[in-house]
Amino acid sequence: MRRARAPLQPSRLPPNVGLGFKPEHFAAIAAEPQPLGFFEVHAENYMGAGGVPHAQLARLREHYALSIHGVGLSIGSLEPLDRNHLARLKRLCDRYNPESVSEHLAWSSHGGAFYNDLLPLPYTDETLAAVISHVDEAQTALGRRILLENPATYVRFEESAIPETEFLAEAARASGCGLLLDVNNVFVCARNHAYDALAYLADFPIDEISEIHLAGHFETFEADGSPLLIDAHGCVVSGAVLDLYAGVIARAGPLPTLIEWDNNVPDWRTMRAQAAIVQERLDHATGGGAKSAA
Amino acid sequence: MTTKTEITAATLAGALATALTLVSASAEMGGEKADKEKCYGVSLKGQNDCAAGAGTSCAGSSKVDYDGSIWKYVPKGTCTTIKTPNGVGSLKAVKS
Amino acid sequence: MTPHVFQNHWQSHWQNHWAQALLDPAGAPPPGVARQAGTAPDRRFAVYRNNVMVSLTGALAARFPAVKRIVGDEFFDSAARAFASKNPPRSPLMMTYGEEFPDFIARLDAASAVPYLADVARLEAARTRAYHADDAAPLTAADLAGVSQETLFDLRFVLHPSLELVASRFPVVTIWAMNAGDLELAEITDWSGETALIVRPALDVEVRRPPPGAAAFLASLAAGDRLGDAAAAALAQSADFDLAVNLAALFSGGLAIDAAAAKDDPQ
Ligand SMILES: [Fe+2]
Repeated sequence: MRRARAPLQPSRLPPNVGLGFKPEHFAAIAAEPQPLGFFEVHAENYMGAGGVPHAQLARLREHYALSIHGVGLSIGSLEPLDRNHLARLKRLCDRYNPESVSEHLAWSSHGGAFYNDLLPLPYTDETLAAVISHVDEAQTALGRRILLENPATYVRFEESAIPETEFLAEAARASGCGLLLDVNNVFVCARNHAYDALAYLADFPIDEISEIHLAGHFETFEADGSPLLIDAHGCVVSGAVLDLYAGVIARAGPLPTLIEWDNNVPDWRTMRAQAAIVQERLDHATGGGAKSAA
Repeated sequence: MTTKTEITAATLAGALATALTLVSASAEMGGEKADKEKCYGVSLKGQNDCAAGAGTSCAGSSKVDYDGSIWKYVPKGTCTTIKTPNGVGSLKAVKS
Repeated sequence: MTPHVFQNHWQSHWQNHWAQALLDPAGAPPPGVARQAGTAPDRRFAVYRNNVMVSLTGALAARFPAVKRIVGDEFFDSAARAFASKNPPRSPLMMTYGEEFPDFIARLDAASAVPYLADVARLEAARTRAYHADDAAPLTAADLAGVSQETLFDLRFVLHPSLELVASRFPVVTIWAMNAGDLELAEITDWSGETALIVRPALDVEVRRPPPGAAAFLASLAAGDRLGDAAAAALAQSADFDLAVNLAALFSGGLAIDAAAAKDDPQ
């Protein structure tokens, strides 16, 4: 269906709710089987040689589907990809054989410095070509189809000439990658840049979505009182984001859905409760068809 | 090495024999180690994240002092209770 | 590649402007950020600038908790910002960030009242390296049972990949332990120097204060010296060096992972 090349291993997470793995939850998770579709980890936190991180991840991997979510490849940069880093990602994927590998439509490295944040890029022909070539290079190196995630942004660029949905659709078409739709990021961007989230979702290439992200955001205000939302991943998913999510699922069918909670991480019971709420929305929106994995 | 002559093969062999006895004695008291490792040790939070950091806001605080030439702070944590040969804590005033 | 043409283009590029502006608190936001009704470009850009600084200083705070406790939050945050704005990470692996922070502290005039601080930072940096070091099964006493008396002198040990020694002219282990919750904060009466032994035989990182001569013994073994020479070096440092106890510690403490006799000194 895409241009000829060596076949890439597709994303194959179960279409249920998953949670981001936090080391502090390890004992609680290991204590009993968890009714979750999968766990997701940030790739770079597992690029050390050994020790606790790998001991925990190896144990987790024995029992659950795994999504490896990179935060440091800097796919949206105009500079070449960091080959050493790509090689590290490959070693990690070879070691754990995850069901899915994803990265961001963002950049984080430039001129040898790493900023540890997902920074925005203008949407132009030049950046589109760079993104396509970087995704292509990553997929070829990994031997896997990767998923590209829409970002949460706080600014827009004057030189942006391509709508984000179109940019992602073209990147997916040309590179053969899949997309990771972060519904909270859509909500955050729509408020920050004063556009309609539903219109964005209507334009989003829905057939390319292989995973969904949900997260809590933090609301603050501009001097004139207009809202500014921060993608803080530090609280429950808002009702408005859950409603948008239900709409996406109703159209797209059940999809692997991750809840990201990275700051003010609560206890495992609270994480589980949040997962149960989202699983219920997922089941309901798809007519109760999807059942969580035992 | 000049002191090499002090260490003979016999010294080493004797020390190793004693060491092996010490090790097997401590192994008999062991078992607690394996249990401890089962909880996978003390784990540290990963430092690579994809969220805005805690404490991040648009509060317009970008002008905060991190230029390094302005030092308006003096160490005042537990160092004020650590007794050094020169007295307690950070006694030197920092000129600004 | 084609440095000249490419670089001119590159230097005027949005990404270059962003990279510069991210670490410069007083600078203007980069050009090309869209102005939008009701928003101020510099406030919007400040979200990114703060994200970067909060994440970098947060990584330092996570890696150097005892240093932070010793100097207090305000001083630490100020020092961490000064460091981060001049020394952004060079790798996407944040677990490695802050390798130069101890040397930065050592050069810091404002920290001259706490001269032991840099060594505490060195100890903490070594702990994180040990936490992520490669796994390796410790050598057991049984592995050495068959070694003949004649080859003992020439035995060379491979120490655990996590093992590091941090030598200090201050009581660095005691100060660290008091600020890591391992010891009660109390007056330190013996202000003599200590060497910290950092090792992670299995999963937990351990910080130990080796007995007399042991630091020299381990440093010598780590350098690839023969057992006989390492023992001599240890005795030269301290007449109280106990070879049997130290050999036992190599096994039961998980400090060594391999040993082989080699007659020929590679030197
Ligand atoms: Fe996300």
